[in-house]
Amino acid sequence: MASRVAGRKSTKRKQFEDDVDVAEDLHHNGNLEMLSDEEEDGNISSDDGEVDTFPGIVNESDTDPDDSDFSDQEEDEVDEDEDEEDDEEDESGEEDGSDDGEESDDSLHVFPKAKTIVSNITNQPKIVYPEIEPEYDSDSSTEEDPNRVGYIPMHWYDDMPHIGYDIDGKKILRPATGDELDKFLATVDDSSAWTSAFDKNAQTDKPLTSEELDLIRRLYAGENPDANYDPYEPMTEWFTGKGKEEIMPLSGALQPKRRWVPSKWEKQKVMKIVRAIRQGRIVPSKPKSTKKFEPYAIWSEPSSSHPPPLPAPKPALPTNAESYNPPEEYLPTEEERKAWEALDPEDRERDYLPQKYSSLRLVPAYDRFVKERFFRQLDLYLAPRVQRVKLNIDPNSLIPKLPSPSSLKPFPNYRSLQFRHSQSRARCISVSPDGAWVISGDENGVVSLWEIIVGREVKRWTFKGKIGSLAWCPRTDVCYFAVGVEDTIHFIIPPNVDPAVLTLTQSVLAPTTLPPAPATPSPVKWTTPPSNTWSQDTPILTIDLPASTGIPSHFCWHRRGDYLASVSTGGAQGGVWIHQVTRRHSQAPFKKIKGAVQLVLFHPLKPHFFVATQQYVRIYNLAEQKLIKTLLPGIKWISSMDVHPSGDHLIVGGYDRKLCWFDLELSEKPYKVLRYHTRAIRSLQFHPSYPLFASSSDDGSIQIFHSRVYNDLMTDPLIVPLKILRGHQISEGLGVLQVRWCSKQPWLVSSGADGSVAVWCS
Amino acid sequence: MGRLRTKGKAGAAKNFTTRSAAVKKLQCSLADFRRLCILKGIFPREPRNKKKANKGSSAPTSFYYTKDIAYLAHEPILKKLREHKAFAKKLSRALGRGEWSSAKSLEENKPIYRLDHIIKERYPTFIDALRDIDDALCMVFLFASLPSNSRLPAELVENCARLSAEWQLYVMHTRALRKVFLSIKGVYYQAEVMGQTITWLVPYLFTQNVPADVDIRVMLTFLELYQTLLSFVHFKLYTDSGLVYPPPLDTKKDEDGAGVDAFALQNGSRQSTTKASGNTTANVSGKVVRQTIKSIAAEVDEETPDVEMSNVEVSREEEDEEFIPHPSSKDTMTTATLPTLQALSSLPTTLTTNLFSPYVFFLSRETPRSIFEFIVRAYGGRIGWHQSSGSGSPIDENDPHITHVIVDRPVVEKEETAEQRELRLRRKYVQPQWIVDCINAGKILLEEPYAQGKTLPPHLSPFGEYEGAYLPGTANEETDEEEQEEEDEEMPAVDDEGAAVDLEAIVSAPADEPTSLRAAELAAEAAGVDFGTFEAAVKKAKRKEKKPLSEEVKEAESDMNKMMMSNKQRKLYEKMKYSNQKKQAEKTELENRRKELAKKKRKEQKA
Repeated sequence: MASRVAGRKSTKRKQFEDDVDVAEDLHHNGNLEMLSDEEEDGNISSDDGEVDTFPGIVNESDTDPDDSDFSDQEEDEVDEDEDEEDDEEDESGEEDGSDDGEESDDSLHVFPKAKTIVSNITNQPKIVYPEIEPEYDSDSSTEEDPNRVGYIPMHWYDDMPHIGYDIDGKKILRPATGDELDKFLATVDDSSAWTSAFDKNAQTDKPLTSEELDLIRRLYAGENPDANYDPYEPMTEWFTGKGKEEIMPLSGALQPKRRWVPSKWEKQKVMKIVRAIRQGRIVPSKPKSTKKFEPYAIWSEPSSSHPPPLPAPKPALPTNAESYNPPEEYLPTEEERKAWEALDPEDRERDYLPQKYSSLRLVPAYDRFVKERFFRQLDLYLAPRVQRVKLNIDPNSLIPKLPSPSSLKPFPNYRSLQFRHSQSRARCISVSPDGAWVISGDENGVVSLWEIIVGREVKRWTFKGKIGSLAWCPRTDVCYFAVGVEDTIHFIIPPNVDPAVLTLTQSVLAPTTLPPAPATPSPVKWTTPPSNTWSQDTPILTIDLPASTGIPSHFCWHRRGDYLASVSTGGAQGGVWIHQVTRRHSQAPFKKIKGAVQLVLFHPLKPHFFVATQQYVRIYNLAEQKLIKTLLPGIKWISSMDVHPSGDHLIVGGYDRKLCWFDLELSEKPYKVLRYHTRAIRSLQFHPSYPLFASSSDDGSIQIFHSRVYNDLMTDPLIVPLKILRGHQISEGLGVLQVRWCSKQPWLVSSGADGSVAVWCS
Repeated sequence: MGRLRTKGKAGAAKNFTTRSAAVKKLQCSLADFRRLCILKGIFPREPRNKKKANKGSSAPTSFYYTKDIAYLAHEPILKKLREHKAFAKKLSRALGRGEWSSAKSLEENKPIYRLDHIIKERYPTFIDALRDIDDALCMVFLFASLPSNSRLPAELVENCARLSAEWQLYVMHTRALRKVFLSIKGVYYQAEVMGQTITWLVPYLFTQNVPADVDIRVMLTFLELYQTLLSFVHFKLYTDSGLVYPPPLDTKKDEDGAGVDAFALQNGSRQSTTKASGNTTANVSGKVVRQTIKSIAAEVDEETPDVEMSNVEVSREEEDEEFIPHPSSKDTMTTATLPTLQALSSLPTTLTTNLFSPYVFFLSRETPRSIFEFIVRAYGGRIGWHQSSGSGSPIDENDPHITHVIVDRPVVEKEETAEQRELRLRRKYVQPQWIVDCINAGKILLEEPYAQGKTLPPHLSPFGEYEGAYLPGTANEETDEEEQEEEDEEMPAVDDEGAAVDLEAIVSAPADEPTSLRAAELAAEAAGVDFGTFEAAVKKAKRKEKKPLSEEVKEAESDMNKMMMSNKQRKLYEKMKYSNQKKQAEKTELENRRKELAKKKRKEQKA
């Protein structure tokens, strides 16, 4: 306490020093051992009464006895009271606020020379120190350790350029640090670098003291950091041990009865067991052997009624190849051996390679024995079992027995002649109703007329653009045919027609008095050139379909020869038109139709109309103007269709090679689906009088079938494949594009993509 | 209006359960489920539509019948398995705490399951059991030859050896063996017991090692079942034929390596002696039991419970079987019914089963005794063997009654005394294959081709192959003749080529008409061809011609008729055709190879 007071009042004390013995005061100071950052400990801590070399006091002071310390102090205090009145304005602030600062003041600022002046206010002498100037030659700057920011948390200044303030309130700047390389070089040079650590206060690396190093070592070794700590101190016994036993009970309560009376409940439990043992319910130390297993006549009792589970299939019995001494032909060749070894074990047909040993003693152990047993067991408990009926029949008995084709003659079986269109595909053909003439059209716009028996071209017409379709009018009293070229249909009378027929035909196609125009104007125009310009080369009648309907790709005449249905494809709008020749009128039967129409057909007997879109065939009643039926052939894209002359059966062919036979009485699904062509079916037709139909395909073949249809509803139609006609070349993936029957004979006319038109005769 | 149908409440969705669902339902581990499936003979089923069975998911899973799983849920073994799980936990806890006495008492009251009811369920009649005994025999014979180790206790192997010996004894006793086949995998035996053909495979006498990728636990579970099954079957077979089961084991003989002979077949009347012998062994095995229990108690925390249990179970079973205090009420009942059955079984001993009865065989050292002793004795022969292949040989090497010596070593010239020579001349030395071939042929074959040092004729499978397969022996003569012809034909072609060409040209002309044939004959005469060769050429030409004319047409027609087949039929037809063609190709391949080999041989002979 004395020191504190002394420190606080140091300035006053110094004022006194002239009057009072200064040396005493000094000595007192030394006694307190005020440690500062300065390293002149020796001076300060020397409490023996030796000579003090305190710079500011040297001139006046002498050594004094120690005893006077306290009295001195008291005197000081007395003086202080007096002083306070004197210079209150100077010191009142300082006195309460910072003791420490003054303490340090006291110790730090002893070096500069103090001047003793007489105070103006009190008229007392007082010591005034000069300002500290941190110059180079000043005392403070020459000192080793300048950082006197005090004991403040250094992290306050982590983000600052300075590290604190000096006594004068000036910033102490952070000393410059070198880059990593410098640091590294410094560590290389300095041998003690690894035992030094960064001191935040000093902002430099400082070597660790030996105590610190020892502490680190201890921590590292997992020892107690305190070297003096003894973990195995002898225990101090407080309540146990000789002479320290607690003899008297803690409480004076009586012992409860249960402590010394045997338990009633325990007795009950034990008695329960005892009784059980007496009665033989519990057998102590039961002999174990009674539980042992022994076989007995398990099947002597009648078995349960439910049937046994199916026995597991037995493994196959070994064959000759498995013998240790098989015939030599069973031994695998080198290639077979290699192939066998290259296969995965599960892909191998046999799990062993046949081997031959000359005698039994040379046969080695089979290395996969255990594994095979294991696999067998896996099969037994992991593999699903399926019961299969083993068919032991001749595979040929599966082929249906059909009448021989030779008994179903006549049918076309050879090519009698061939007519060639030069350099382009023969797209379409038509046979005249009397069966004597054929017209064929190609993609260059050439239509040729030739005789079916001779095969010589009689007449040729050339149009602009592809010929889409050709159709001969089925009427026998007139003679003309329709040609479908781009957006137009031309009606042409062939040459060399009987004059009576010719006049009738001309009157049909170009009557002198035109029928009245329909009430509603039609987009289709019927034009006939004037009669003086008629010739065999030009069409007598032309129907102009609306622009951009595309090529009429399909024609279908009604059996009476008055109506012609045309289907145009490829155009922008396309569509179906029904043209009536006598009335010179065209109408579109459908306002709009779902899907792209591929084909249309008139029913041979009823006023029905078949429309094949890409996937469906719809049957409409034209008289009643309604849909009768939709057939579902299951074909991706229908290519061709024909109706049997009886009108009850329909065949539909598709680009996906399927041919569907529909019995119209029966169902919307096909009665039979055949798939025998290897490429898309292009064309189909029933023979008008013989029980035949033909189909042609892109594989270049024509297939002739016998198709007998019975009037009896119970009997299924008989379809017998008769003949495959080959002879057309495939060009650019296209084969036979169209087949047409000759109406009177069992002859077939076919046009191919190779430009040839062939006649097949029986 | 019908009831509304909810999805997944009927049909395949309800009838099938996936494996994971089954395991969840049964509340057991997968290993326990597997064990149950094996023991109960439940296997996965293939639903017709996997998507319907698995709630619309087509992920690959195995399906079981829901009813099968419900049937498993009522299985007493499942209860025992659960008890065992609890027991394993308790035991490991007791051991972990060091409570040895409680561990011991736990171990004493260890849950043990029995398989009797399963045998009865799976095989309601004895015939059912016999029909399914093949795999059991294979396994037991295999395990009898395996070396014992920590996973495969010696008692298990011992029991398997005992069961296999019992089976062999029975087959020998009833002369039930029918066919034997020495294959590269082992020896196939086929026996006929009570009208059932039973085939089993025995590995050759080498130490088999269990590969690492074989799950021995699965095999042991199967073996557990098979041992029980076989012991019941043997019991029935033995008691039906008036024998004591189990046949008492002479331990001394067994130690000397007497093999099958260590067991003595006894008729039912001598039961008291068996009991006595049984009691003596009981003490010994009682100790063994304790030891095993101790060892098991030590093992418990190391091994998984299910494996551990199997070991114990198996060992217990076999110990039981070793010492059966025989007389019981059931036994007397069965013996009372015996005589008629015995008479029945003894009746059909035909001549073929006594094939070797007039002969006495001696096995030389290098032949495997276990195989040939069994075969010869099963066919009524007497057999002796060298001391080195085990004790108890009834016939000495110098016995004058020996008719055949089975040798499997090359001929070695050596000095011999006159006595030896005489002996040698009196006996016939045959290679082991002779015995097997005799049995398969059902008669005594000539010893000459099988004599010592001779190249053996091929050994064929007595089980036959599929119908129409290549038969190595029979097809030879015909084809040989043809070949000869071909070769003969080749010969003149080399001599006078011109004439042969002429002949062919001439013969190719004649059809069936006799006039043209006559003309051709004349032409041939003019060309200077003799009548014999002309006739042969005509025949050949006819043979060639017949085919193309009629058959091709027919083929084309039938090809067209194939168009009219339905899809299903066509697929079936193609499958059949494919498999037939494959078989045919195999056959022709073998035939061609045989021909080539024959040609090569002939050439070598010529050279």
